[in-house]
Amino acid sequence: MQLTHLNTHGEANMVDVGDKRETRREAVASGRIMMQPETLQLLSDGALPKGDVLATARIAGIQAAKRTHELIPLCHALALSKVAIDFEVDHVEGCIKVSALCKLNGRTGVEMEALTAVSVACLTLYDMCKAVDKEMRIEAVQLESKRGGVRGDYQREPAPIVTGEGSAGEVSLGVRCVSPCVRVKFLAELRERVGQSDVAINLDQLPSRDVAGLKAALAQLDTRFGVLSDQRTLCAINQVMANDTSRVTDEDEVAFFPPVTGG
Amino acid sequence: MTANICVKVQSEAFAMDDGYENTLHQRTDVGAVVSFTGLVRDFNETPEVIGLTLEHYPGMTERTLMQIGEQAWQRWSLQAVRIIHRVGYLGPGDPIVRVLVASAHRRDAFNACDFIMDYLKTQAPFWKKEHSHQGAYWVKERHPDQQDAARWESLVDGPSH
Repeated sequence: MQLTHLNTHGEANMVDVGDKRETRREAVASGRIMMQPETLQLLSDGALPKGDVLATARIAGIQAAKRTHELIPLCHALALSKVAIDFEVDHVEGCIKVSALCKLNGRTGVEMEALTAVSVACLTLYDMCKAVDKEMRIEAVQLESKRGGVRGDYQREPAPIVTGEGSAGEVSLGVRCVSPCVRVKFLAELRERVGQSDVAINLDQLPSRDVAGLKAALAQLDTRFGVLSDQRTLCAINQVMANDTSRVTDEDEVAFFPPVTGG
Repeated sequence: MTANICVKVQSEAFAMDDGYENTLHQRTDVGAVVSFTGLVRDFNETPEVIGLTLEHYPGMTERTLMQIGEQAWQRWSLQAVRIIHRVGYLGPGDPIVRVLVASAHRRDAFNACDFIMDYLKTQAPFWKKEHSHQGAYWVKERHPDQQDAARWESLVDGPSH
């Protein structure tokens, strides 16, 4: 693997893309800004002193994508065909998730544009909210996917909760379930938070054979399962509502989910 | 009389007056029909909702709706209960839920319909994800819904406000 922005002498070098074929290019980047729950609430209520925070950050992100070449020394100026910025306000994690999509018909990738858009949108969110919260933290700015170009497509894999299958008597994740075991389901927002919909866990892993024991065993597996101890998290065993003291037995289906919002 | 309760969870659209004719077909003992249809609003947690996705817990959903219908059946004198709820993607203005209750007298029908909706909103495993120009987010549970459902616990016939 060679770094394209260095020449044979190791000097900075702007790549000549004149001979490259024009292809459809697309990149998605994401990032997040963590903040106090109170700040997030003020933002959701539109009660921050600088006005509409998300609308401002969106425009900032779009502008930044278009001006990436002015900021990053060896980037080419690109006539982007599309820039879209999306926000997801996450009250449970206490953050705003930012994603940026950039598109181009051209000779060079647009991931720097997408990453710049996310970075500047996050910085703008910081600026818009800093009057009430100085603890905010911008993190996890990363490329999610890119399409087009000679090096082919890229898609970030979600971090696996546990790699591989457990050996006999160990925890195994996924649909395989060796008795005695319980199948665990995560629904709606909880599924997105945990990053998967189904887990099977051997009953012998549970410190106690009840829902509390199941939560403890899962939390031991991965910190992401810590959300199960949240007071809002509800539980059903074999599709009947249950609580922490409800007994869990072999072959049970245990579902965890947030408060219901139908109707 | 065996409970005449019908529950449907479906991704297909249904009409505003769904179940009406079907329930009353060749019956002359019904004195009152009360129905409620819930629609997707174009404003909720954000001012511009462009659509929503409804997720549910197949199996538990149908069972819970049936149990709510049975509770209403035991509590009031009813002749028919219909509950229909959509899942999947819905746009503004789409009917999302419909409850229809038939009885000999209006008070039972009014109360039972009110009761079923209150319990459906707080017990049936549905979750809404709203889509807006600001992005998508999961709808949060509302405290007033819990209060509405709690009204029925201490009451024999209907709530006083």
